[in-house]
Order: sequence, then structure tokens, then C-alpha cells
Amino acid sequence: MAGVVSVLRTPLVAGGKRISDVTRDVCAAMDRKPGALWWAGFLLSVTMLAAGAAAVAYQVATGIGTWGLNTTVGWAFDITNFVFWVGIGHAGTLISAILFLLRQRWRTSVNRSAEAMTLFAVMCAGIFPLIHMGRPWLAFWVFPYPNWRGPLWINFRSPLAWDAFAISTYFIISATFWYIGLIPDLATIRDRAQAGLKRSIISFFSLGWDGSYRTWQRYETVYTLLAGLATPLVISVHTIVSWDFATSVIPGWHATIFPPYFVAGAIFSGMAMVLTLMIVVRKTMRLEDYITVRHVETMARLVIVTSLMVGLAYLTEFFTALYSGNPYEMFVFTNRAAGPFAWAYWTMVSANVLVPQFLWLRRVRTSMAAVFVISLLVNVGMWFERFVIIVTSLHRDYLPANWTGYTPTLIEVATLAGSFGLFFTCFLLFSRLLPVIAMGEVKGVLSYAKEKRHA
Amino acid sequence: MADQNSTHYWKSLAERAGGPDFSVQAETEFASSPLRSIEPDPGRRAFLKAAGFSFAASVMAGCSRAPVQRAMPYLDQPGGVIAGRPVYYASTCAGCAAGCGVLVKTRDGRPIKLEGNPEHPLSRGGLCAAGQASILGLYDSLRLKHPLMEGKQAAWQKVDEEILRRLKGAGAVRVLSHTVNSPTALWAIAGFLAQFKDGRHVMYDPLSCSAIPDAHEQTHGVRAVPHYRFDRAEVIVSFDADFLGTWISPVEYTAAYRAGRDAEATRRSCWHAQFESRLSITGSKADRRVRLAPIEVERSLHQLASLVESGAPQDAPPHLQEAAARLRKAAGRSLVVCGIQSAEAQVLCNTINHKLGNYGATVDLEKPSRQRAGSDRALASLLEELRGGKVDALFILGANPVAELPGGVALAAHIRKLPLSVSIVEREDESAAATRFVCPDHHYLESWSDAEPVAGVVSFTQPVIRPLGGTRSSIESFSLWSGRPKTAQELVRERWSGKVNWEESLRNGFARIESPAAAPRAFKAVAVPPREAKPAEGYELVLYPKAGMLDGRHAYNPWLHELPDPITKITWDNYACLAPAAAAKLGVAEGDVVRIEGGPVSVELPAVLQPGQDERTVAVALGYGRKASARFAKVGPAWLDSRGASVGANGLVGTNCAGLLAFDGASLRYSRAGIRIVRTGRRQALAATQDHHTLAAPGGGPARPIIQETRLAELTKHERKHETHPDLWPEDHPYTGHKWAMAIDLDACTGCSACVIACQVENNVPVTGKDEVRRKRAMHWLRIDRYYTGTPDEVEVAHQPMLCQQCDNATCETVCPVLATVHSSEGLNQQIYNRCVGTRYCANNCAYKARRFNWFDYPRDDRLANMVLNPDVTIRSRGVMEKCTFCVQRIQQARLEARRRGEPLRDGDIRTACQQSCPAQAIVFGDMNDPNSKVSRLMRSGRAYKVLEEINVRPAVTYLKIVRNRTREGGES
Repeated sequence: MAGVVSVLRTPLVAGGKRISDVTRDVCAAMDRKPGALWWAGFLLSVTMLAAGAAAVAYQVATGIGTWGLNTTVGWAFDITNFVFWVGIGHAGTLISAILFLLRQRWRTSVNRSAEAMTLFAVMCAGIFPLIHMGRPWLAFWVFPYPNWRGPLWINFRSPLAWDAFAISTYFIISATFWYIGLIPDLATIRDRAQAGLKRSIISFFSLGWDGSYRTWQRYETVYTLLAGLATPLVISVHTIVSWDFATSVIPGWHATIFPPYFVAGAIFSGMAMVLTLMIVVRKTMRLEDYITVRHVETMARLVIVTSLMVGLAYLTEFFTALYSGNPYEMFVFTNRAAGPFAWAYWTMVSANVLVPQFLWLRRVRTSMAAVFVISLLVNVGMWFERFVIIVTSLHRDYLPANWTGYTPTLIEVATLAGSFGLFFTCFLLFSRLLPVIAMGEVKGVLSYAKEKRHA
Repeated sequence: MADQNSTHYWKSLAERAGGPDFSVQAETEFASSPLRSIEPDPGRRAFLKAAGFSFAASVMAGCSRAPVQRAMPYLDQPGGVIAGRPVYYASTCAGCAAGCGVLVKTRDGRPIKLEGNPEHPLSRGGLCAAGQASILGLYDSLRLKHPLMEGKQAAWQKVDEEILRRLKGAGAVRVLSHTVNSPTALWAIAGFLAQFKDGRHVMYDPLSCSAIPDAHEQTHGVRAVPHYRFDRAEVIVSFDADFLGTWISPVEYTAAYRAGRDAEATRRSCWHAQFESRLSITGSKADRRVRLAPIEVERSLHQLASLVESGAPQDAPPHLQEAAARLRKAAGRSLVVCGIQSAEAQVLCNTINHKLGNYGATVDLEKPSRQRAGSDRALASLLEELRGGKVDALFILGANPVAELPGGVALAAHIRKLPLSVSIVEREDESAAATRFVCPDHHYLESWSDAEPVAGVVSFTQPVIRPLGGTRSSIESFSLWSGRPKTAQELVRERWSGKVNWEESLRNGFARIESPAAAPRAFKAVAVPPREAKPAEGYELVLYPKAGMLDGRHAYNPWLHELPDPITKITWDNYACLAPAAAAKLGVAEGDVVRIEGGPVSVELPAVLQPGQDERTVAVALGYGRKASARFAKVGPAWLDSRGASVGANGLVGTNCAGLLAFDGASLRYSRAGIRIVRTGRRQALAATQDHHTLAAPGGGPARPIIQETRLAELTKHERKHETHPDLWPEDHPYTGHKWAMAIDLDACTGCSACVIACQVENNVPVTGKDEVRRKRAMHWLRIDRYYTGTPDEVEVAHQPMLCQQCDNATCETVCPVLATVHSSEGLNQQIYNRCVGTRYCANNCAYKARRFNWFDYPRDDRLANMVLNPDVTIRSRGVMEKCTFCVQRIQQARLEARRRGEPLRDGDIRTACQQSCPAQAIVFGDMNDPNSKVSRLMRSGRAYKVLEEINVRPAVTYLKIVRNRTREGGES
């Protein structure tokens, strides 16, 4: 196995894998019967999903009143969850599109799972704008479609209308991108499968892939084009989501910093979620050679960068409020840090800004357990960031007579749990049914392949 | 065929000749020949097309489910009634004994709204919250629909026979009622009682003022409550009299008070000092408010009397010296009123008014008020008779003594023992349950009656709907039992024939009559021994009526239960108000249940921290814990996590505290010393609509310029500079026609909340129940924000009616994804319910939080109560947003009316519901494009400002600053 291997860079795939090893290792998970751990996780996820579905059904049947909202706080868990899940999605697109265009070859081991995560996260996100409506059965009214009511058009000035476009575009592009990337691997599975129903289905979805030079060349072209299309979405989707707040008049929402702040936060939270998932995947699916410590370390570095950006945004918000001299604005920020929701604010600051600083230490960065815990905390912190932005700004705004509090109900908590249930159910099924690592791409970055190329 | 009809008739030679040209000529002979539109040969395809189209069209038409509607047209249309157009009848409100004039708005034969009668000499167009809400009583499904005999339904004839049988040979017959100021009813009762050798009519008031006539009996030799003329007073000093809220005739007094304080109109403002224990809405408007324990209020009155008389004692506190100095300076133009239920205190009050020469000027004893005619002494002797079993028959008319008087349980037992006891009431209340017969009375909107609230002013009540149940007017009942059965209409008409112009009086709703002008009574000085100031032990209890709920006669009314108290902003409960300092001393937090001990009964109530209250006082509202409120157990949406019903553990709303009233045989007293407050360790959640009380942010920070004030001395006529902010929006939406705007005078607003209920009735605003209010989901479109300034001990209060501001740059409009809220060409911010999908983004982005969301389908199961709904206003379903519309239905109605008349809309043609009801006329609505309209003039006033003007949403509501009548030194302004 002696070949030309850089002494400076650790190899992207450890264990001196051959091409056939890749196929065998990645497909092994699909060939094995699911283990007890998988079943436990799956049952838990499905239970949470069922609880969430029941909560949503009850809420749709009874009314938004089953949530803890009030006249002053019109959004809380619903839009918090929405922004949280959209944010999670962003890391997937960043890894699959931007890192692809930047020729970051380490992405090959994680991009498939990250894209799947994006897809499932956007699915979770998309539920909330729908169910947060007082009359969700009329949700299609937010789309401009030909109608006989005038025709009655939508309000193109409303950020919620932009959201509808942004999220639907995002979902379509992400799904397409993911599927196109899957085709070579589907063909591999097809070739390994016995004749039967499974083979027919996979054969249909592999679109007659024959592995020829021409097929590969077209595939690469489409993939690059889609990466180019998806790249602006990394910036635009969360920018538009941030406009839900930035274009309003509510102190604490009305801030020009929101678009970059939200995008950085989205990548931050997404990276944390990728880390959470990958650390579990590499361990349980015995893919340590593919998702190496180097991968984890690289992503941890991205977490530090985005954490600092988010921290800077927190400081900037305070500075802007102070500098503006606007009493309403100043109050919102003192209220965040010292008001009734100060606990949420400080949870957010410690989880998002303080805790990730441990990743500066190599020892922490390379410890899977430590990174796993930190990534979980970042997820919690980023959920609270959205909660803090939405609830603390609303609950005490201009007229003190309107000031209220907010307490979530069981229904809202169950709905949040349900969204996690949906996410993990989808991800667990994905881990069983499809290759969690892009075999076709990983094969291209093997040391073995390089060796052969140089030969 | 051809053979059967072969004879061919021809019209012209050309036709007979035939030829190809003829058919063309025939088609073009006329400019538009129907022949031309038909294809020369329809053909098979065209036929199939047409047939297919017809078939499809008929199928489509058949698919739409047209509901079966049963219309009930008038067979004979009554004169003057046009379906869809409201008809107004002048009448008199019977929500209390103040006798305010109302115009009853009826649509298609059912009354749906009460409007103040602007012509009425007393109420001047205003109507209070309780009056506005009293229309719901008409459609109350728990009103009795038939008489009861020993608790069982019986026919009127049977009941009458039985009552008359038992009346035979009865000696002591008593009629017990609240104040009755209907001359016809008094006449009927007198006629009934005249049959017996010992018949007596005893009147009492649960909110008694009987010390006032008692004192006048001593000082002026006449038992009467004078007619107070607040409009003529330049200095008003009030001792515990909440005359703007609940005392005697608040609507009339508010209108008069406002007239005397409209500094811009009159270039002067009266000065008002209030000495009180709890914070009343009158106190919230006072220029100088002095908080004292009840016993000290009385002592202050003593001191003031000496100060006014002789200038002594010099050691009197400065606020009293100031009051005395001002009173003396304005002698004959000042007014001292006293709400203390003690004849001595009232004698002192009379003495001061006499010394100042106020009798005949601001205190009218020649044409006295009849709004409080109760006599506590008469009540005491009746109770004594009942205890001694000396009464043969008791008729309770419209009163509920068992719930309203101390010792109610014992009283009920005595009533049960009577051989004949009759309740003439609308509902089966606590007292009716103790009587043998219940003879249900009409609601006042179903009956003929009259009222003489002030001598010389007769107000008429006419029915506006046929009685909904088998009820009978009390006037008719008494005349029947007198053996002279006549209808109430005949009786009222007979009573006034020859005295008033009947038709005109009915149309106006009132008439002025020449009453025998009593000669000015000579003043007889009565010495009042100075009161020994007992060292106060424990706390002093003050029992007070709440605006709306009053003495509890409206306890059946969900609107009034959900009406936030003007000061505490708490709904659906009564509670023990404690000063923050007292609460701190007791270790009591808001919502802690405390036991009030030391009286004949002890009650447990949640504590409320009330800034501005005296530290030794605990204040509790009367009128709660009534049987009539048991029905609210199920009010509000039922769902998984609803925490408790709108009623308390006793199954009723609040706790009845009438047992704590002190009755010494001379007068019902509303304060009681020697009270202990004990913590129970339990807590009870209160349903307040507002949690934060001050404009300053907690933990410091500048006060927000939401409430603005000016001083009388600084009040100038200069016009307001119109500030323009740079604007990103192009000025491409000119308002070329009308542009609706509103001005709200914060100086005039007393917080009485009449507008809140008026808006609720007009706009079909649902009642949400205690749990929903607790979750801050009250649905009122118009709310009154109340703010405090100063320390928690000494507060100043501001009331700010807050409603949709109809912003030009409306923040709600830009964010709605589906265009469910849009701007009208007349500046209205319109909400389109059936387009709303309920994202709530508009409400989040409203800086005023004036929008209300339908969190649930609020129950409207009571079909009878639904009769009160305004057919001009849509009922909103679950999941949609709603808010104030500036009463767009009234704008439209006025516009149509003007068009029908062929005239342009005049300023004042449109009056919103809140404006119409406001006793202080604090709200003005109109067209700001008309420079001469009242609202335009107010918008140019030096007092004008807009709330949150700095964020440039350009609200259409202008507020006028509060005028504080004092200088910085607290001296003469």
C-alpha cells in the first residue's frame, strides 16, 4: 500500500481503503438487519412524531388558543421552531454547494448526510408557517395563483409571502440536488441488488446510469450547475427569514444587522447539527474511517468561526441600541438581559458564544464526546436565540399597558417534540435505506485512487 | 307534411319569385336582424355544442347547494318600518335610578343598542357602562317567563287569586323596593297600600345615600337629596363621594363636571380636591387627591367646616387650608359633596355649603334629586318588624335584600315565615327564592313607565318590543291588586294627561314640568360634636361599588363581569385592595388569598396591591357572589388546558361581602374599623387585562411620551405645529374625499369605561371568560389603558382609551401576506375577515397592539342572547384577526342617510359607538379633510399629540393632553 501520500496532510479516508472497500463498508449498513439501538431510536422518534401529530391535529381542530400565545405575543414556539429548522438546513447546503465549488474535498464524506439533514430540516420548518395560521386550510392563499376572486393577488410587500417563495424554492433545489448526487450511488446499489422489486425501484431511480465517461461528464456538469444554483440560497433563504423581523417596527426586530446575523447563525446551528449526527453515525455505523477525526475537527473550526460571528452580532445589537438613544430599543435589550426572559438570553449567550470557545483547544476538538456535547449545547442555544428574538421583543414593546408574559402549553411542547420526531424518523430511515456516504465521491478522494493516478 | 299544408302564402312578388337575393335582403332589411346572429345552418356540431353547454351549465347550477331560506316578509308592513333601517325610540334607562335618557335602536323590531339621548337634560347624551350593558338583560334566557307559586310555575290568574285571597284581612302590608322614582309606579303602589290599614312602602338603596336626606331634614327641614350642579362649581371638594364613577348619578355629574373643566372652551377650569381612602375614578381625576383612612376623612370634614367658618384651626394640614381658601374665594360657586353615610358628616357638609352660599347655586334643594330616595331608618324598622313577625304581607319590588343587606340569611328565614311574600323581580334571585310568590316584572324595554329623576324632569319609558315571556309590568300588578286593573300605558298616560304634550314628550323621551317650587328653606344650624379620633386598631374596611357591577343588580351580565375595573383593570372577580405598603407589612403579594376578620362575618378574598390607597384601609367591592352569576361556570372556550371556569370555588363570580356592611339602625355604613387581615397561604389567580402600571420601564429608563400633560397656566390657544417626518413612501395616496379621524381628550376621559361596553354591544365583541382574560386574550376592540406616575403611595392616574389608530402608514397592512388588511380611500384601515388566514403578523407588528385574534370559536350558544347582535357587523370566526373599524357601519349608515336626503354629510352626522356613549364627550370623530370639522379643530389644538408619532406610522387618532390644574409650587394656578 505504499504510495504517494502527503506527509503534511492526513488522508481524507483512513484505513487505506480500496474502492471496493468503500462500496462494501457503506452498503454494509443497508445490508445488515437493523440493530437494537436503531430500533430504539426509531421507536422513540416515531413516538415523538405521533405525539406531535396528535398535538397538531388537536390544535387545528380546536384553535390557536391551545397555544400559550396572547394578544401581545402573537408568535412564540411556532416561528421559533420554523427559524430553527430552516437554520439547521443551511449547513447542508453550505457543505454540498459552497464547499463543492471551493473544492473542499473533505466534504465528500459528510455531504450526503448533511444534504439529507437539510431536506428533513426544511420539511420540519415548512410545517410551522402552515400550522401557525389561524385557518391553515386556507394556507394556499399565500401563493399567487390564478383565481376568480378579482383576481385577488397576494401582498408582495409582505415578508411572509417572500418566505413562502424562499422556503419552497429551497426545498425544491435541495431535493433536486440531493437526488442528482444520489444517482451514481443508486446505480451501485442497483448493480449489487438481486433481481426483484427492490432492484426495479432502484433501477428506475438510477435513471439508467451506466458509468460511462459521458454519463459521468453530464453528471458532473449538472451537479456543478446545481451547486451554483444552490449557493445563493445559503445566503438568500435565511436573509428572507430574517426580514420577517427586520422589516417590522418592533424594537428588537427592526435591525439592519439581521440578514448577516441570521445567515451566520444558521450555518452555526447547522454545523452543530451535522456534528451531532455525524458523530453518532460514524460510531454506530462503523464509518470511523470515512468520517475521520479530521472531518470533525474541520467542522468544529467552522463552528468556532460562526460562533464568533454570532457573538459579534449580539454585541452589535447592544451597541446599536445604546448608540441609537432610542428608549424603546434600549429597553428591549436591557429587558433581554435582565427581564423575565433573562434565563433564556443567558442560556443563549453561554451556549452559543462561551461554550464553543472550548473548541480552540485541540484536545477538545479531537474528543468526540466533547464535540458531541458542545454541538448539542449549540443546538439548544440556537433554538433559544430565535425564542429570545421573537418573544422578548414582543412581550414588552411600545405601550407598557400591553406588556404580558408568555408560557408555552403542553400542545406547543408536543409540537416541538413532534418536529424532532419527524426529523429523526426521516434520518433513521435514510440511514437504513440509502448510502449515508456519497460512495461515488469518496472513491475519488481515496489515497488509493491518488496512488493509482500517479502510477 | 307538404301535402297537408301546401298552400303557400307570399308577402311580395319578389318572394314569390324567390331567387338567391331575397333571403339576403330579408336578413339585412333591419339594422339588427336576429336572423343574422344565427348561423345559416346550425348543423349537428353547433347543436351538440349548444346542447353540451346547456347540459354542463345545468349540471354546474345544480351542483351549488343553495340553502333553503324561509323569509318571513311583513304581510302588512308597519308604518315607518323599513327592513334594514334602524328605528330609534326615546326611552329611559333603568340600569340604576339615575334616570338617564336613552334612544333605543331597533332593527326589524328588536332592540339591539342603547344610545344616550343627547337632548336629555340630565344625561346629555351619555350613557354609562351598566346602562349600555342593560340591553343584554332583555335577552337573558334566565329571566323568568312565568309567575311562580311556592317555587312552581303557575298561571297569572291563579297567582293573582291566591295573592288577593291571602291579602284579605291583612293588616301590615309592606312594599320593599329600591328607589322608585316613577311617579306612576309610586302612585300605583300607594293606591295598592291604601287598601290596608297599615300599608307602607319602604325604599332603601344598597348603595345608600340616606344620610344626605337625613341631614337635610335636620338642617333644612326637608327630607331630600339635593340636585348637585357640578357644572356651576368652580371649586369642588369631595369627601369619599365617587361622583364620576358610581355616586347617585355619575353620567349626569360627569357631563356637568366636564362642562366646568373644559378649559379651552371656558378659559377656566374648576379645581377639584378629593379626600378618599381608596383610589376611585373621581380621585383619579382630582387636582388634589388626599388619601386618608375613612375615619380621617370624616375628621378632615370637621376640620374643613371649622376652617370655612372661622379660619381656625390653624394647625390643620396644608391641603385642607388650601381647600378652605379656595372654597371661600369661590363662595357661591363652589361645591362640597360627601359620600360618608353618617348624618353628622352630612350635616357638616350642609353647613359648609350653607356658609359658602352654595344652596340655590350649586346645591339645588328646591328641585331636589329623586335618584336616591331610600331611607335606612325605614328599612331598619321594617327589618325589626320582620324579626318580630309583625308583618302580614311583604312585596319585594326589584330589590334583593337577602343578598344586599347584612344578615341576609336570617332575613331570608324571616321572609320564609311570612304568610304572604311576593317578589316582583326579573330573575329568581336570592330573595325571590325565599318568597312564596314570584311575579316576574318586564324588562324596562318591554314596559311603559316613567321616571322623575330630578324634580321637574319627567323621563318616559316606552316598550320597544313585545314582552318576550309571560311577564307583567309591576305597575299593572299593583293596579290589579288594588282592584283597578288597567294597563301600564293607560296609567302612565292618565298620570300625565293635561300636564305634558304626550306625543311630543314620548318622541323626546322626556318633558319638563312645573313642579311645585318649594320655598327656599331656612337653614337651621345643627351642632355636631367634634368626633373623638379613636386610635385606629387594625385596618379599616371600605366597601365600594365597581363601575358596571354597581350594587350587584347587573351580576347576570357577562359584559360587565368582563369589563376591566377602571382602576385595577381586573375582571371577573372582587378582591381585597391593599396599599403596597400595607401589603409589604403583611407580607402579602398580589393574588395571595387573605381572610378579612373582625366583622360579623369573615370573608376570604385574593389581595390586590392598589397604589394610591390609604395604608390602613382594605377596600372590597360589593355586588359580587350573586346567584345570578352561577351561570358563568361554563363561559369561555372549553379545551384541554383551560384552567378553571369563570366562577370561583363557590360556584359564583366573586364573593358577596354585604355581610360586612355596618347597619346601626340609622344608616348603612360602608366602612368598618377594627379589621384584621390574615394570610391563608393560598393563592388565587386574578384576571387582569393590564399588568404594568407605569410608563417608566422597570429598572429605570426614561418615561415614554405616551401620556402627555400640560398645565393650566401653560395652556395656550396656539396651534399645534405639524411635524413632518421624512418618508420613504411616495405621497401617491391622496385622500381626496373624506379622511376619517378621531380626537380623544385625555383630560376629559375619566376611565368610566362606558365606551368599552358601547363598542362591545355595537361590534358584537364576544365574551371570552376569566381564563382567557387571564391569558391576556380579552377581545375588547377599545380598551382603556391606565397608567400611574409618582410613588406607589401617592399616584397620579392617566386613563387612555386605546383602539386601532387607523394609521396612514399602517404597519399591519404591509406585512399581511394575503392582503386581508388594506387601506380605504377614506383613510380607514380595513380588516377583511373572510380573507384572513390568521398569521397574526399584523398584530405583532402593531405598535399599539390594538388587534384582537379569535383564538377559539367563542361560544354563541345562547340563541336568545344572540338577538342582541348587531346585524350590520359580521360575527368573526375562529382564526381571524379583528379590530376597531371606526364603526364603519355607522359611517356607511350616515352616508346612505345623507344620500337619501340629497345632502352632503355634515360634521357630527357620524358618531362612533364609543363617542356616542361617552358622558364626558371625550371622543370626537369626523372628517379631517374638512378644516371646519370639530375633529380638525381639535387636531390643531395646542394640546394635540399623537401616540408613538416618532415611528411615523401617522395614526388617525389624536390625543389631547391632560391638563393638570396646579403650579409647580402647588399654589394658585
